[in-house]
Amino acid sequence: MANEGSHTETLAPLESHLFENRLVDASQHQTSSYAPTTSGPEAVSWTVQSSTANGVYPNPTYQYDQHPQPPGRSVQDGQSVSSVAGNTSNLGTANAPQDYNAYTSYANSSNPYGYGSSTGYSGYYNSYQQQQPNHAYSQPVGAYQNTDYWRLPKQQWIYKSSAATPVQYQQQYTQWADYYSQTEVSCAPGTENLSVPSSSTSGCPVPAATSSYATPNNQPPQSYPQYWGQESSTPAVPSFQPAAVNSGDYDGYWKHGAQTSSQIHQTSSQILQTNPIQPNYQSHLDLNSSYDKFQDQQKTVSSQGTNLYFPPPPPPPPPQQVNLAPLQSAPPLDTKQVSKFQIPTNPRIASNLAFEQSKTEKDSSTSSAAMKPAYIAVSLTKPTEKVSSNDAANSILKPDTFPKSLRGYVERALARCKDDDKQMAACQAVMKEMITRARADCTLHTRNWDMEPLFPMPDADAVIKDNSLSSAHDFVLPKSKKSPRRSKSRWEPLPEEKPVDHPLPISNDTVKYSSWVPNEKDRKVVVENKESKEDSWRNAKFSPLFQRMSSKAPQRPFKKQRLADVSIAHENGNASSDSDKEQSLAAYYSAVVNDTPEELKRREIRSKRFDLGQTQRTENNHSRKKNARAGNLYNRRASAMVLSKSFDDGVSKAVEDIDWDALTVKGTCQEIEKKYLRLTSAPDPATVRPEEILEKALLMVQSSQRNYLYKCDQLKSIRQDLTVQRIHNQLTVKVYETHARLALEVGDLPEYNQCQSQLKALYAEGIEGSYMEFAAYNLLCVIMHSNNYRELLSSMARLSVDSKKDEAVKHALAVRAAVTSGNYVAFFRLYKAAPNLNTCLMDLYVEKMRYKAVTCMCRSYRPTLPVSYVSLVLGFSTAVPSNEANDEKEAAALEECSEWLKAHGAIIIADNNGDMMLDTKVSSTSLFVPEPEDAVSHGDANLDVNDFLAKAPL
Amino acid sequence: MAYLSMGEAHRRITEYLNRFSDAVTYQNGVSFKSLFALSSNSHFLLSLADAIALFNDANRLINQNDNYSQFSDIIIPLFRSLQHYKQSNFLETYNAFEKTANAFVQEFRNWESAWALEALFVIVYEIRVLAEKADRQLASNGKSPEKLKGAGSLLMKVFGILAGKGAKRVGALYVTCQLFKIYFKLGTVHLCRSVIRSIETARIFDFEEFPKRDKVTYMYYTGRLEVFNENFPAADHKLSYALKHCNPQHEANIRMILKYLIPVKLSIGILPNHRLLEKYNLLEYGNIVQALKRGDPRLLRRALQDHEDWFLRSGVYLVLEKIELQVFQRLVKKIYIIQKQRDPSRAHQVKLEVIVKALKWLEIDMDVDEVECIMAMLIFKNLVKGYFAHKSKVAVLSKQDPFPKLNGKPVSS
Repeated sequence: MANEGSHTETLAPLESHLFENRLVDASQHQTSSYAPTTSGPEAVSWTVQSSTANGVYPNPTYQYDQHPQPPGRSVQDGQSVSSVAGNTSNLGTANAPQDYNAYTSYANSSNPYGYGSSTGYSGYYNSYQQQQPNHAYSQPVGAYQNTDYWRLPKQQWIYKSSAATPVQYQQQYTQWADYYSQTEVSCAPGTENLSVPSSSTSGCPVPAATSSYATPNNQPPQSYPQYWGQESSTPAVPSFQPAAVNSGDYDGYWKHGAQTSSQIHQTSSQILQTNPIQPNYQSHLDLNSSYDKFQDQQKTVSSQGTNLYFPPPPPPPPPQQVNLAPLQSAPPLDTKQVSKFQIPTNPRIASNLAFEQSKTEKDSSTSSAAMKPAYIAVSLTKPTEKVSSNDAANSILKPDTFPKSLRGYVERALARCKDDDKQMAACQAVMKEMITRARADCTLHTRNWDMEPLFPMPDADAVIKDNSLSSAHDFVLPKSKKSPRRSKSRWEPLPEEKPVDHPLPISNDTVKYSSWVPNEKDRKVVVENKESKEDSWRNAKFSPLFQRMSSKAPQRPFKKQRLADVSIAHENGNASSDSDKEQSLAAYYSAVVNDTPEELKRREIRSKRFDLGQTQRTENNHSRKKNARAGNLYNRRASAMVLSKSFDDGVSKAVEDIDWDALTVKGTCQEIEKKYLRLTSAPDPATVRPEEILEKALLMVQSSQRNYLYKCDQLKSIRQDLTVQRIHNQLTVKVYETHARLALEVGDLPEYNQCQSQLKALYAEGIEGSYMEFAAYNLLCVIMHSNNYRELLSSMARLSVDSKKDEAVKHALAVRAAVTSGNYVAFFRLYKAAPNLNTCLMDLYVEKMRYKAVTCMCRSYRPTLPVSYVSLVLGFSTAVPSNEANDEKEAAALEECSEWLKAHGAIIIADNNGDMMLDTKVSSTSLFVPEPEDAVSHGDANLDVNDFLAKAPL
Repeated sequence: MAYLSMGEAHRRITEYLNRFSDAVTYQNGVSFKSLFALSSNSHFLLSLADAIALFNDANRLINQNDNYSQFSDIIIPLFRSLQHYKQSNFLETYNAFEKTANAFVQEFRNWESAWALEALFVIVYEIRVLAEKADRQLASNGKSPEKLKGAGSLLMKVFGILAGKGAKRVGALYVTCQLFKIYFKLGTVHLCRSVIRSIETARIFDFEEFPKRDKVTYMYYTGRLEVFNENFPAADHKLSYALKHCNPQHEANIRMILKYLIPVKLSIGILPNHRLLEKYNLLEYGNIVQALKRGDPRLLRRALQDHEDWFLRSGVYLVLEKIELQVFQRLVKKIYIIQKQRDPSRAHQVKLEVIVKALKWLEIDMDVDEVECIMAMLIFKNLVKGYFAHKSKVAVLSKQDPFPKLNGKPVSS
């Protein structure tokens, strides 16, 4: 008592007052709501438990062990508690409701003994944890380390069962076991009980709790929510909730942790005090009494009878005592551990935090909008609501604290990463950070979330890295790398040093439950979150639930401890769902049960082992990362695509902020030949060829003797690979130029146009290439195929003086002049003298030009015109027939010309000399443009069905 | 700047706010529009900018009074815009003014009558001008200028509000013209089509009911579009309308119209008086007219080359280039006249070699085939009546009107 009094003094009077207020409200509701449901089962379970525990497993040694500890601890308590505010006691009362939650659920569980006992503990624990938020701000920062440290094990425990890597956890666990001494031994089974079922259902520990909850929850649904709602609306709340809400949810969380430890200390101190009062050291009774005492104190402070229900909750103090004793007795170890263990946790937690919050938001929005039937069925709903509304930290996450637009924003953001959990997690991390920041700047409600550009898809890899690397350094690096970019872009003043400088606020929650996800790297959980809303809800909103669970973990140990001397096998048998793992753990724990000095040694040893475990874990993670890498690339690509899509709508400034480098695929395919297949999803690096292979592929295509369709296919695939890898260099230009030329040769204008437009951009980037050649092609193309005067004008206006001197460009300009003036003579002269592939482009216009020319001639010439002249002028034959060979060619050309003329309806007659003459007058009225022979109904000869079939076997 | 006291600043701001609310209350469009005319650089607004800079709590002043606070969405960004404008920070000016414009449009929609049309015009105008300035600033900073594009879509929205029935429709043409200006500047002329369609197909509203200035501007731009399409008769009609109705005081506008009208007229065979070119400083066309008169293809080519850039940019290059055939016609005509003077009986037979010789003399290097082609085209395009005898290389001209005049009709294609 004296102790407590001194503590209270340290606290600011105002604060305590506030707390009191809150307590009153809470307690009132508590009483009413709580009474009907819990009291019955609770009492029953309790009694049963105590009887069983004492009767069935009489444990003299246990008691013995416990007694010596208190005195030693008292000193420590004094030290540790000093920082803790005297409020604790008050707070404890306030938090009682939560305790009840836990309690109720457990009490109802099928296994009265195990659960009942655990419930009591959990309840107790919960109360502590929840209290913490209250003092959270008042707590010195340093405290958190302790807390986290303390809490971590719990998480791991929970996790362990569901996590795939039992070894690591075990080691850690053992470590913790040391700290918890005997407690842990007993704890293990309990933990397992909880977690195992959960893993079986969905990989999430929570479900297990849910199942046990289900029944009890049905009864008190109304009362509970009400209570919570009231609490939140209570005047006292401001002091409590706002702090958490505004200053950063996480603060609350982490302070929680901090307080936990401190509270524990306090408790222990109280226990110490109570102990003397209650001479009886029977474990349960004793505990009860001490607890009651504790409660009484609280009661006095709060001046509420609410706590009547509290006493029943079993004997938490003793276990705690036990727990604390080791903890405090090994302060140096603690700190060491903290430094090693805790720090890494923080960063991870930070990321997790983000994840958690975003999750919550999404969940909240979704849940609010659409009912979650599964949820209700499980009857988890109630606890969820309670939790969400109640927990300070969680209250931040409450749906109603967010503007609707923000919810929409989050939904949109998350919608982008539908089927990728990593992506999701990364997204959530980003969003969480965003929201935290927004809250910090008080722009949460003022910002127009509807207009807010979606942030660039975070690099899932980075997050994974974060998760996988357990060392602080590793974590910091990726984080800092990531954040500057974001901050630069749209999220206003974003401090890039945030993760580094303020690890606490961000990661403060480091969080109990969220942190474990990354720590353990349990993907399943994340997936599950995504998959089922309720689950995610639970994860996000139910942090208290988790807390409970986690708190339970340590509690279980206590029970175990009690039972420790009893055969472990027996205990296992008692546990509802015992697994091999559990047994092995139990073995561990049984070993742990010892007196303090020995324990210390062992602890040291185990701490080393712990280190080992850490490294092991990192390694493991590394390998995992490697494995995941390919998939990540894939994801990143996908996200990039999504991004580009989402940024299309005029938010161009955001586009430049996308870190395309991080999203670019690096190909690993070594095949030179690759069929083109239009991507319908993100590219797989395994099928993308790296640059050097692409170079070979280009050479292969250039030297290939196969047909255009094959080459086109190959070039398209090369282009695709270039695009996918964002290679913009001379190779790219070469590929496009090659393809453009090939396309021109066969008159594949659509393909040519694609290449041309790409080349335009590439040249604009300053990459060397055949700029002039393609400028000429471009001009020719515009003149003859687009028939758009404005475009032609702008193309011409763009030509520089230098380029106008270029042979190809000059030729193109001359062609243009010939075409616009209709000077067919000039045109066909230019046609014959065309450089590069200008001929090919002109080819496409020849038919038109010839027809125009013939109509013109038929109109202008009278009476006849020699076909030889027409043939010459219209480019069928070359200018000067000089020798025999040419004559033959001439004759063939003449024949071709007359055929062409006839095909176009011209009338050809023979004159006196037998030369073919074009009868212009008659022809002028009979000319027509014949249907092209190779015409296809769909208008594109390149898509001819035969060609298509020919393409298939390629 | 002279020292500005706090009181004076307060007075200026309140005066502005009073004018604003009075204008709205009494629906005084004239007074109202002056409150938005940033680019007018009016002393009133500039001094207001100083006052706002000094009196940094203007927003409170606005929100204090219900008369003003209902327009705070308009006024607050407007004040910000004004401040940035004073500092020549046009990007921010535009951004703030865009907000004002949006808020104003919202408000305008609710006003039954069109009393605030003038103010809307001012805002539309400012939006365009400020966007152009902002783009210039963006471009000079190496950023992509995109504000004008944004202004375009904003004006399109305004157009949508005005284009319906009722009194406000009168304003539609003004917005259309501003849109034309934007689209022509951006080179996205194809976007004009939808606006034109809605103006020209709306039978409920007679085009003549629009204000004259808008009609002239509209005709000018649509005339230019017709030039692009090489639809010379239509272009001639529209540009002539613009010229006819254009305020003769506004010589710059007349010059702009003439810049397109002259090539159009040339291509339908109507030559301008040299004094006209002098008066409106359109001497670039001088040599072209001269070449047409003389039948001098060399002069034409030189003129085109000399002002190629200018012609290309104004988009008349291709039009002028097509005049070459007329120049050839004139040349042949000259030869014909000379032949007629020497020997009227054989004048209608123009030997190809004579033409080639004439071109040689003009230092134009064309061989017989090409000249033959030109002759064929002249005949084909009905610039010369007659036929060409390939065998004898002689163009036989019609005895009646061998060189028909275009008389306002374009060269047949």
